[in-house]
Amino acid sequence: MHHDKLEEIKKKREEWEEKVLKPAAKRFRMEKPTEFHTPSEIEGFDFLRDVGFPGQYPFTSASFPVNLVPAVRKGAKPGGLKRASQYSGYGTPEDTRDYYKAQAALGWSGGPNFALDLPTQCGYDSDNKTVAGEVGKVGVAIDTLRDFEVIFEAFTGDQDMDKIATNMTMNAAANILIAMYIALAEKRGIPMAKLKGTPQNDILKEFVSRGTYIFPPRPSMRMFRDSVVFFTKNLPGINITSIGGYHIREGGATREQEMAFSLAIGIAYLQEGVNAGIDIDDFAPKFTFNGSGGSLEIYKEVAFHRAYRRMWAKIVKERFGAKKEESMRIRVPMFAHIGCGSTTKQRVLNNLSRTMIGGIAGLLSGGPPAVFPPYDEPLGLGWSLEARQLADDGARILMYETGMCDVLDPFAGSYFMESLTNEIEKAGWEGLQKIEDMGGAVTAIETGYMQREIARSAAERQARIERGEILLVGVNCFTEEYELDVTVNRLVEHPYSEQKRYDAEEKQKVNLAEVKRTRNNREVKRLLLELEKAAKKEDENLMPLFIQLAKEYASLQEQCDVLRGVFGEWQQDTFI
Amino acid sequence: MENERKIKVLIAKPGLDGHDRGAKVLAFGLRDQGMEVIYTGRRQSAVQIVKAAIQEDVDVVGLSCLSGAHLTFFPKVVELLKEEKAGDILVIGGGIIPEEHIPILKEKGVTEIFVSGAMVKDIADFIRKNVRKAV
Repeated sequence: MHHDKLEEIKKKREEWEEKVLKPAAKRFRMEKPTEFHTPSEIEGFDFLRDVGFPGQYPFTSASFPVNLVPAVRKGAKPGGLKRASQYSGYGTPEDTRDYYKAQAALGWSGGPNFALDLPTQCGYDSDNKTVAGEVGKVGVAIDTLRDFEVIFEAFTGDQDMDKIATNMTMNAAANILIAMYIALAEKRGIPMAKLKGTPQNDILKEFVSRGTYIFPPRPSMRMFRDSVVFFTKNLPGINITSIGGYHIREGGATREQEMAFSLAIGIAYLQEGVNAGIDIDDFAPKFTFNGSGGSLEIYKEVAFHRAYRRMWAKIVKERFGAKKEESMRIRVPMFAHIGCGSTTKQRVLNNLSRTMIGGIAGLLSGGPPAVFPPYDEPLGLGWSLEARQLADDGARILMYETGMCDVLDPFAGSYFMESLTNEIEKAGWEGLQKIEDMGGAVTAIETGYMQREIARSAAERQARIERGEILLVGVNCFTEEYELDVTVNRLVEHPYSEQKRYDAEEKQKVNLAEVKRTRNNREVKRLLLELEKAAKKEDENLMPLFIQLAKEYASLQEQCDVLRGVFGEWQQDTFI
Repeated sequence: MENERKIKVLIAKPGLDGHDRGAKVLAFGLRDQGMEVIYTGRRQSAVQIVKAAIQEDVDVVGLSCLSGAHLTFFPKVVELLKEEKAGDILVIGGGIIPEEHIPILKEKGVTEIFVSGAMVKDIADFIRKNVRKAV
């Protein structure tokens, strides 16, 4: 816009503030008047440079040129995307197999999205005494190839392993578990090159939040390097990582911290591949993002995603010299949802209202809407069938009734949104620079910088809630006695019974003992010794050995114990 | 009054659950409330927690668990404290705890469960009222 015109707008604005806004604010006793934005805030705005077109560099408006509205699982409209199922995994592999079979009988198709129990995520077998009480909880227990064999009995024929994509929430032991997946496929006669799926494989964020690490950060990065190299060469259909800024925000980070920390982590992973001698354009397109965190501050979340896409594109292009646009694009299953941290246990149905807003934010920020999590999440992992139905229907209403999916980035060119995007981006670069000055993400984690920062932010947020500076409906305001205590009437049982949950540990111990009795123990021992030798050689890629070990039914813990011996174990300081 | 010892609290995360935001928020918050707080960090066994509680001579043990293993860990800590003749230490818990498990935990000696959305100042008030040691 012409400079004179901007000057005129500034002048007019001052007049408006004085003559119109101030009296109104005074009349309505507003401490802070409602904002209004003008072109003068985006002086120098260049549409092609700053926004561009959807699906093209710098990807500000959207990662893809069209909104990829997915088919929802049940009663799906034809022509949608085939997507991995709801995050799931219960008790023993048998229980999980039966769950998937039951889901298939309900008409659902596509690959599983695994939740693993904590012993599996932390590299322990089900028979380890120290993990008693945790086997088969929060996910399925996996000890050996046998367990993959059982789970995937639910996936055969036109749902066989080369026809579905499998998502797996595995990080510290991702390579060992992927090796079991490969071993199972090969036993079925499916070459690994035909496999599709996404392991989470984002170990650095585990140190910052979530906490399922095993080895210290540096050997963990060596494991990551092995995946970059091996996956790039042998597993073209398997994504390398799914970077999770989401977990960092849920762990207590602010929006800006999430941005800086997760980008720093992404840079560390890209650098690992480049250092291993792979062309950036050969592996960067295989990076995915497990969404970002969210909040109910809808405009800021939309601006966050616009800035985040622009920053990642710039980093991959300018810093790593990528040539292909696919390398620069953020691929993510869902954009700005609200995150579990925005839900409340008090008046739990309000969470449905909250997640609908998250779905709208997702749409406005450039992707299909996800009404996530189900409203009953704060009651325990969001499992009830009614809550899921409502979440699915919420997304369907947004997709098919509102017309919102017809437009990408409706805020493009908005004076307010463009200036807010710039502002958030600026804070993101500053935060990233701080980490770069420390020596990068790994160092910032080793010294506890990221952990300390997010713990402080989380405590500060709670203090603001308690001072009433942040208002949560039904929690710290609108809680008077005339407010109704809205409750949920359960219509449907949990798909996984309490009794099965209780029995899972003992059953899985029996399963594991049977495997250890019938396998070739001499060969397992020999391969474990070989693993130890190979692990000591920094340059050696351990993936081929993990596959051999998987085929011999070596257990997860047996392999992790060998690596613990070589790499050491991460002892997390408390950082508070 | 000024010579009174501060109430000493141990915040602990039993088991493998790594979601420690709540534990850390409480650690900071109770400190602001004038208490002395020690946080054990992640991945502590019941034995380690009890050992630390006795060694540090705390008045309160606050347990946090989101992994669904609370029915195993919380009563275990209570039991071990009793065995170590430290049954007067107040044990409270928090995390993702289903409603129906709260009476079970209370019956097994966990004095109170504070779930998501609880205010730090309410937890602090509860501790002040219920702490059994003369402090």
